[in-house]
Amino acid sequence: MENTEKKKNHNKTAGLIALLVAAVIAIALFGFSCVSGLTPIGWSGGVESNGVLYVGSLEGRLVTIDLIDESRQWAEPLKYPEQSGLFGCSAASACGGGTSRVPVYATPAVSGNLCYIAGYNGKIYAYNTTNLATRWIFPREGYLEALVGGMVIEQGKLYIGCSDGVIYALNSETGDILYQYKTEDKIWGTPTLADNTLYIGSFDKNLYALDADDLTLKWTFTAEGSIFTKPLVENGTVYIGSFDRYLYALNAIDGTLKWKYMADNWFWSQPVIVDGTLYAGCLDGFVYVLDPATGAEVAQPVNLKSALASTPVIYENYIIFAVHEGFVYKIDLDTLEPLLIASFESTLDGPLTLHEGVVYLQTNDAVLQRIDTSTGALLPPIYLTTQ
Amino acid sequence: MNVWELIIQQPLTNVLIVVAHFFGDNFGVAIILLTILVNLALLPLTLSQIRSSKRMQDLQPKLAEIQKKYGKDRQKLAQEQMKIYKESGIKPAGCLLPMIIQMPVWFALYQSIMLALAAVPEGLLNLARYLYPWPVVFSSLPLNPYFLGMNLAQPNFILAILVGASMWIQQKMSATPTDDPRSAASSQMMTWMMPLLFAFLALSFPSGLSLYWIASSLIRIILQYRVTGWGTLRRKASTGQSGKKYVTFESEDAKKTTAKPKPKDEVIITDKESLEKSRKKPSRFSKFFEGRDDDEQSGE
Repeated sequence: MENTEKKKNHNKTAGLIALLVAAVIAIALFGFSCVSGLTPIGWSGGVESNGVLYVGSLEGRLVTIDLIDESRQWAEPLKYPEQSGLFGCSAASACGGGTSRVPVYATPAVSGNLCYIAGYNGKIYAYNTTNLATRWIFPREGYLEALVGGMVIEQGKLYIGCSDGVIYALNSETGDILYQYKTEDKIWGTPTLADNTLYIGSFDKNLYALDADDLTLKWTFTAEGSIFTKPLVENGTVYIGSFDRYLYALNAIDGTLKWKYMADNWFWSQPVIVDGTLYAGCLDGFVYVLDPATGAEVAQPVNLKSALASTPVIYENYIIFAVHEGFVYKIDLDTLEPLLIASFESTLDGPLTLHEGVVYLQTNDAVLQRIDTSTGALLPPIYLTTQ
Repeated sequence: MNVWELIIQQPLTNVLIVVAHFFGDNFGVAIILLTILVNLALLPLTLSQIRSSKRMQDLQPKLAEIQKKYGKDRQKLAQEQMKIYKESGIKPAGCLLPMIIQMPVWFALYQSIMLALAAVPEGLLNLARYLYPWPVVFSSLPLNPYFLGMNLAQPNFILAILVGASMWIQQKMSATPTDDPRSAASSQMMTWMMPLLFAFLALSFPSGLSLYWIASSLIRIILQYRVTGWGTLRRKASTGQSGKKYVTFESEDAKKTTAKPKPKDEVIITDKESLEKSRKKPSRFSKFFEGRDDDEQSGE
């Protein structure tokens, strides 16, 4: 009798020890050896239309902010099909510790009385701008693979690239699919539309130029690395960065190479051209100042000391960059001197939005930060969460 | 970038990408090869750990004996245990130390796999920080996550089961038979808890990590087999009788030292006999593994 009791106690202790060891190992795996960048968070920028700013919040929904009275409106939260993993983690989040909120990377788009948002859950949503009531969802049944890149809307068509490698052209009023074009690998980049041609990069290392009418192929250009950057099209030239560390300038007509420029890391964000000079931010922390016609260096690169993933904006005589480590700089275009105007306890990888001299950006705590570009003053933030 | 990232994580990540590139952009093969490479580098430590465990295992009859003899006098028991360890040239921490030294390397390998997978946009952006300025590294990214039709960036049920199964075999092979009911129960719990926990984790992490766990377990199973044979995995199957508290491989030397009247409730089985029987028809596979561990040979 006593022996049985003793044995039971032993088993209990042994169980506790085993559980303790298992817990320590689990904590070690989740905590000590944690790698950042495993959980999708999102970095949607904003778009302004008729005094209203449209942003995809980190909460996983479209938020509108009236820029006059700062009143906010929220659309329904985006949803995942189902949680297939454990610990509340879906396959899409691909990591322990994920949540059910849908990350939004694509900047929303506005056209007429509709606004659009694409989620990492593989759905595109169209809402009425007035009350954010849902107009249509694509696809109506099921889900595409993750949508990371933004949309372009032109002449009643919505164009978007998807992780399934397909470029979709939808009817922007109804959400019906009009045309599609399949590439060889996933697409995370945003397309650019110019002169009735859609330019979009794919992870298959190709830049595709497609006829905007029916998505038939005009030409392709093959780089040595995958392409994420949103192409810049200006004066008959397409500028595109690649993971091979080159910035390419191509003839918009036939895709032939004009020049290429190599940096120390990827060109992730879209370059900009101001007053005949090209400014390209790179993940090596430098802003390269180049002649758009030849690719020759016009000036020494500007060192901002942190990865430049965020698309810059131009205001008066300044170009404004946000860097990964949370700093916002404005660079004087005459002197190329960078001036720190704001810093945040957050990584900054999403695109900046400029409206009437105020820069808007979303920080990791789902707050819309506002910076007065003239004075560098930080205006009161706007909370994008519902609570 | 901190020292850990600079010295361990960054080199491992870049090597992983380069290996993937030279094996047809196959990330699965790269994970397996790097796991083998890291295991080879850690081989002396791993073998030392397994041998220490085996020596501890061999001492179990003696330890059980003194446990019975001095079970009530804890101080005396500890003294006698230390005496046995000293006589046998065993340091009780000998099995733990190599494991502790290896752990950072395992964590680094795990981190590199997760990093190189870059399954989400933030991961890809984060990966850019770790890349060496080698053209091959830049042009290989993002890595192709498909291996044998499985997406290594997504959890995979089959691989999760294989993680559990391979880990259970490894745990079973390395488990130390003991006469102490507390230790026996604890060992039994660990044999099941660890595989279940890891299989559970495998269902939530990208399956690239599962592949790494499976490859690690298989390597460990091979090494364990080389040193101790099938261990408790086989003994249980070959004896299959109740009332046997433990079994041991008995060398001639050991026989001399332990040739004492056996207590009533314990039977020592010379498992070599059953091993010999099972080896009557050697296969190509068993021939490959016929070589015994140095320790064992010297003991025969």
